[in-house]
Amino acid sequence: MRNLLNFIIRYNTWFIFIFYVLLSCTLLFNGRNFYQQSVYLTSANGVSSTVYGMTNSVTGYFNLKEINADLQRRNASLENEVLNLQNQLKYYVTMVDADSASMSSTHASRFDYVIASVINNSVHHPRNYFTINKGANDGIKPGMGVVDQNGVVGIVNVVGSNSSRIISLLNTTQHFSVKIKNTDYIGSLSWYEGNPGIAYIEEMAQHMQFHVGDTVVTSGFSTTFPEGIPVGTVISRVRTTDENFFTLKVKLMSDFPRLSTVRVIKDDFKAELDSLQLYDAANN
Amino acid sequence: MSRELIYYAILFVAMLLLQALICNHIVLFNVAVPIIFIYFIIRLPMSLSTNWVLTLSFLMGFCVDIFSDTPGMNALACTIFAIARRKIFTLYNSRDEHHAEIVPSISTLGFATYCKYLLTTTLCYCTLIFLIEYFSFSHLPMMLLKIVSSSVLTFLLLLGIDSLMARQS
Repeated sequence: MRNLLNFIIRYNTWFIFIFYVLLSCTLLFNGRNFYQQSVYLTSANGVSSTVYGMTNSVTGYFNLKEINADLQRRNASLENEVLNLQNQLKYYVTMVDADSASMSSTHASRFDYVIASVINNSVHHPRNYFTINKGANDGIKPGMGVVDQNGVVGIVNVVGSNSSRIISLLNTTQHFSVKIKNTDYIGSLSWYEGNPGIAYIEEMAQHMQFHVGDTVVTSGFSTTFPEGIPVGTVISRVRTTDENFFTLKVKLMSDFPRLSTVRVIKDDFKAELDSLQLYDAANN
Repeated sequence: MSRELIYYAILFVAMLLLQALICNHIVLFNVAVPIIFIYFIIRLPMSLSTNWVLTLSFLMGFCVDIFSDTPGMNALACTIFAIARRKIFTLYNSRDEHHAEIVPSISTLGFATYCKYLLTTTLCYCTLIFLIEYFSFSHLPMMLLKIVSSSVLTFLLLLGIDSLMARQS
C-alpha cells in the first residue's frame, strides 16, 4: 500500500496528464452523446452566447449592404411568383363554380417561421456549426430546419434557453435529402471539407436527365424542410467508380461566411407525422 | 506573486476572447488559421510546476473548445502541448544555464532563441490540432498545407504580440 502511494506521488504528473488526456478523449469521441443532455459544453451556453451576442450587436452591421441586395432580389422573385399564382388562381376560379371550391387553409399555415440572428459562425472546420440568438423560449426544438434569404443553411442541433447551436450545411456528418426542381430525382446532398460554396449530390441514378444551371431544392421527404426550398444550382457532373450512380457538383445558394439573419422552420404537423411513422414502425 | 496571478488571469481571458471573437473567423487563403491563444501557454513561467502547466493548458483548451464548438479537440492538443513545451525549451537552452525563473519572451531569451522556441512550439501545436481534427491521413496534402500555413501565420502574429508586450513593460 505504501509502495503504491509512493508510486502515485512520485509519478503524479503522469497521472494528471493521463487524466486530462482521457477527459479530452471522452469529449472528443463521445461528444455527440453528451450534447443530447447538456447544452453547457457548446457555444449555445449562457456565457458564450452572451459574449457572442454582444459582439454581434457591433459586427452585425458589417454585411448589411450585400444582405439587403440579396433580400431585394429574393423579394422581386417572390413578388413575381405571387403575381403568377394570382393570375392562375383567377383563371381557375372562373373555370370552377365558386360554391364547390372551398379552399382549405390548413396547408398554408402548416409552417411557421422564427427569425433569428447568427451570432457565431464557422466555415473552415470539417464539422461546422453556428449559433443563433433564439432558443427554447421561442419554441425552437432540435431537428428543426434553418434557412436564410437564399436557401437551406442547416438543422437545429442543441437548444439552450435563449440560444441554439445549428449543424451547418457545411458539416461532413450531415446529409440533406434534395431533388432537382420539377423532377422526381432524389439524392443526398453532402459537403466535402474545403470550399464553403460547393457541395455534392451523391447517388443520382444513371438514367436521370439534368442541365447545368438546374436548381436543386429540398425534397420534402422529411419534416425538417418543406418541399421546394432552394439549395443550389448544378455546375457539373463528377465521375465516380460506381457504374449505376453518379455525383453532381452543386453551387450553394447561401453565402455561408456571411450568414446573418436566418429563419427557423416550425412544422405544425411534425408531431403528427412522426407519430404516424412510429405507428407504422410498430405495426410492421 | 499576486501581481503575476492577476497578469496571467487577464492574459487568459484576453487570449480566449481574441481567439473566439476574432481569430476563429479568420482563414487566410482558405487554409491558414491563426491560433493565438497558445501564447498564454507559451508564456507561462518555466518555474511553474508541470502539474499547474497541465491544468492551466487543459482549461485554456477546454474554454476555447466551448466557444468554437470543437469538443475536446483543443483540450487534448493543449494537454500534450503542455508536456512538449518544456522539452522544446530545454532544446534551445542548455541545461547548465540558470533558467528556472525565466518567463519566455524576446527580452529574456534574446531574439534568435525566442524565435526558434516560438516557431517550434507553434509548429508542434498546429501539427497536433490538425492531426486531431482530421484524424486520418486521407487528406494528407491539405492537412500539411494547413499545418505549415497556420504555423507561419500564428508565429508571425505571436512574434508581433510579444514585441508589443516587451515594449510596454
